[in-house]
Amino acid sequence: MAVSLYGPEDARQTVCVYLEHNAGRLEDVSLGLISKALELTSGSDWRVCGLILGDDTRKPAQEALARGLGEVISIQHEIMTRFDVSAFTRACFEVILQEKPAVFILGATPDGRDLAGRLAVRLRTGLNADCTDLRLNLETGQLISEVSGFGGGVIALLESPAHRPQMSTVRPGVFEQQFVRPVKSGVIRQIDVSLSRSDLQSELLERSVGERLDLSKSQVLICGGRGMHGEFVQLNALAEQLGGEVGATRPPVDEGYIERERQIGQTGVVCRPKLAVTCGISGAFHFVVGIQEADTVVAINIDPQAEIFNYCDYGVVADAHQVIPALIEALARESHSSHA
Amino acid sequence: MIDALLIDDGLQDEMMGVFGQAAWACFQCGACTATCPWGIVSERSLSIREMMRRAQLSVGGAGGDVWLCTDCGQCLQSCPRGVPVSRVFQAWRGQLWKKRTVESGLTPVLWSVYWNGNPLSQPPSERMNWADGLDVPLFDAKEHEYLLFVGCTASYDPRAQKAARALVRILNTSGSDYGVLGEQERCCGECVLRMGHRPYFEDIARANLEQFRKAGVRRVVTISPHCYDAFNNHYPDRKEFVSIHYSQLLLDLLASGKIDLESTPSSRLSFHDPCLLSRANPEYETPREILAHFDGIEFEELDRSRAETLCCGGGGGRIFLETLPDERFSNLRIQEAQQHAIQTLLTTCPLCISCLEDSRSAIQVENLKVLDLAEFIVSAIVPDGRE
Repeated sequence: MAVSLYGPEDARQTVCVYLEHNAGRLEDVSLGLISKALELTSGSDWRVCGLILGDDTRKPAQEALARGLGEVISIQHEIMTRFDVSAFTRACFEVILQEKPAVFILGATPDGRDLAGRLAVRLRTGLNADCTDLRLNLETGQLISEVSGFGGGVIALLESPAHRPQMSTVRPGVFEQQFVRPVKSGVIRQIDVSLSRSDLQSELLERSVGERLDLSKSQVLICGGRGMHGEFVQLNALAEQLGGEVGATRPPVDEGYIERERQIGQTGVVCRPKLAVTCGISGAFHFVVGIQEADTVVAINIDPQAEIFNYCDYGVVADAHQVIPALIEALARESHSSHA
Repeated sequence: MIDALLIDDGLQDEMMGVFGQAAWACFQCGACTATCPWGIVSERSLSIREMMRRAQLSVGGAGGDVWLCTDCGQCLQSCPRGVPVSRVFQAWRGQLWKKRTVESGLTPVLWSVYWNGNPLSQPPSERMNWADGLDVPLFDAKEHEYLLFVGCTASYDPRAQKAARALVRILNTSGSDYGVLGEQERCCGECVLRMGHRPYFEDIARANLEQFRKAGVRRVVTISPHCYDAFNNHYPDRKEFVSIHYSQLLLDLLASGKIDLESTPSSRLSFHDPCLLSRANPEYETPREILAHFDGIEFEELDRSRAETLCCGGGGGRIFLETLPDERFSNLRIQEAQQHAIQTLLTTCPLCISCLEDSRSAIQVENLKVLDLAEFIVSAIVPDGRE
C-alpha cells in the first residue's frame, strides 16, 4: 500500500472541516460538519479548524466563527470565483501539507466528492466516501467512519490506521447543526497559495439551475392516495409549512392529479424521510416499500382496517380532508406562539 | 441517408452463449409481434420480429423496448418454428446489464435479492411474519414429505400472505406432511433470470440447490408459478428433487378425499390462468378439475383462457417497472370479467393477484372479488371462512 505523504506520527491533533459556501452563506452540510467536529473533540486538546476557499470568503468565514469554530483558514484568490476541481485541489493540498491535520472531513456534495477523491489520491491517503456517521478516538487519533451500503442493508465501520489525513465525506443531512456559543477569540487566518488562471481547467459559460425534483432527499414527505380524491391543495400547504415535499401513490398519479415523478413506492421513488404523513392511503405493499424506512410514519385513513396502520408509528382513523386543515391550523398556531 | 448496420462479432458470441442456435430458426413471419399482448394495449407494439432479426445478425442495441416483455410466452405459443423468444430477450437484457444501462429501478431489485434474499427490499428476519399465529413447521427431511417453498411475494406482500395463510390452513386441515425453510428461504431467482442477469441467476440456483441438498429435500411445493417454473425448467441439474405447484397438490388432496368440502360458495366464478401455468407449463386443467369437485358451481370461462390466456402484466420483471394506466393488461382482464358478470375471479399466482387487485380497485369494480384458489377452497372447508 502506498505511504501517505505524512503519517500518524507527523499528524497534528486537528480536525479540519472543508467549508462550502454559496452567496456569502455557509451550506447546511458544512454547518452540520462544524457541529460534529466540535462534538467529537469537545473537552479535549484537539483543534478544529475550518478551511474555506473562494474569491471572497469574509462573510462565510465570519459565519463559521459565529457557529463556534475557533479558527478558519481562508484562501482567497481572485480566480476562485467558483468551484474548480484542479485549482481547489491544488490549494487544499498545499494547506493540508502545511497544517498536517489528522482528520479532514468534507460534505458529500457534488463539489465535495469531486474534491475529496482527487485530493486523497494526491495525498496518497484513503477516503471514506458518503459516510453516515463519524466517531473519533481522542487518544489514538483514530477516526471511525460509518458507511451504510446497499440501501442501508449493511453498515461498515472503517478505519484508516496508517494514513493521514483520515478523509471522509459525509452525506448532507446526516449531521444537524447544533447551537454553539461563538468563540470570541476566533481567528481567520489568510493563507496565500500560488495560483494563476492556468490552474483553472474549466470555464463557466452559462449557469442554469434545473428544477429537478428529488423526493428521496426530502426530510418530510406528505403523501396522498386514492382517498384524497385528487385534492392535493391542502397537502401542498402542509408540505410547504413543514418544509417538505408532496408524494403520491399510483392512483392519483394515474388520474393525472399529480406528476408521475412524485410517485412513491416500488415503481416510483423509495424515500427515507424523517417524517412521512400518509393521507387517504390504504397501504398497498408496493407503496409501503417506498416509505417503510421513514423514521416516523403518521397514517391518516378513514378505514380502521386499512393495511397502512400496520406500518405506521401513529395512526389517525379519520378523513384526511378534515384532519389536514386542522393540522395546518394547529401548526400555524404553534409557530405563531413560539415566535411571539 | 441510411446508417450502416455494423455486425458485432463479440456481441454475437455473447448472445449465442445465451440462446445458442435457437434464433436462427426464426424466418421472420411476424406471428410473435402480431400476437404479443402489447399490440392490444398500445400502438407502439413491441416488435419482437425486429428483436429476433437483430439477434440473428447481432446488430444494433436492444433499446428500452426490450423491457416491455412480460415473458408471458404468447409469442412462443404462436411461433411456427418453436423459437425460444424469451431466451433471446433475456440475452438482450443481459447485454444491457453488461453495459449498465438497464431501466432505472431494476438495479436495486437485484441488490435486494443479493442482500435480503428477496427482490422487495424486505428484511430476511421478517420472512416468516406471514405465518404469525399459524402452525407452520420448519422443514425436517425425516418428518416431512415435502418442502413448501413460500416465495418472496407470498412471504412479504400482505395481499399474497393471505393466500399463503389459506393454503397452510388447508394443508394443516388435511394432515399434510410439509415444512418450510423459514428465514433461511431465499429468492428462487426467477425474477433475476427474467430480467436477464443469467450469471447471477445461476449463482442463486446453485446456492438454493445446495441448500435443498443439505436439507434432504426431495419434493418441493411452490406457491408461486414463478418459483415452480424456475425450479422445473431453469435450475441446472436438479434431478434430486421434484417440484410441483400447490394447485397440483390440492387436486391430489381433493381426489384422495383428504379435503372435505363442506359448502359451495355461491358466486359466479371464473379462472384467470397464470402464464406460467398455461403456456410454459400446460397445467391449466388442474384448477378446473379442482373446481369440478364443487357441486353446483357457476363457472364461466373468460374469452382468453388456458393456453391463450392474457398475461396480468407482472411477469418478466415488469412488476418492478411502471406501466401506464391504459397499457395495463390486468385492466383488460378485469373488464373481461366484468363483461361476463363474474363475481369471483380466481387465480393461482401471487403476481397475478397483485396486478388484478390493483386494476380492480383502479377501475373501481365493487362487485368483483379477486381470490387465490387456496382462499376460495379454505372458505369451503373452514366454517368461519376466509380470514
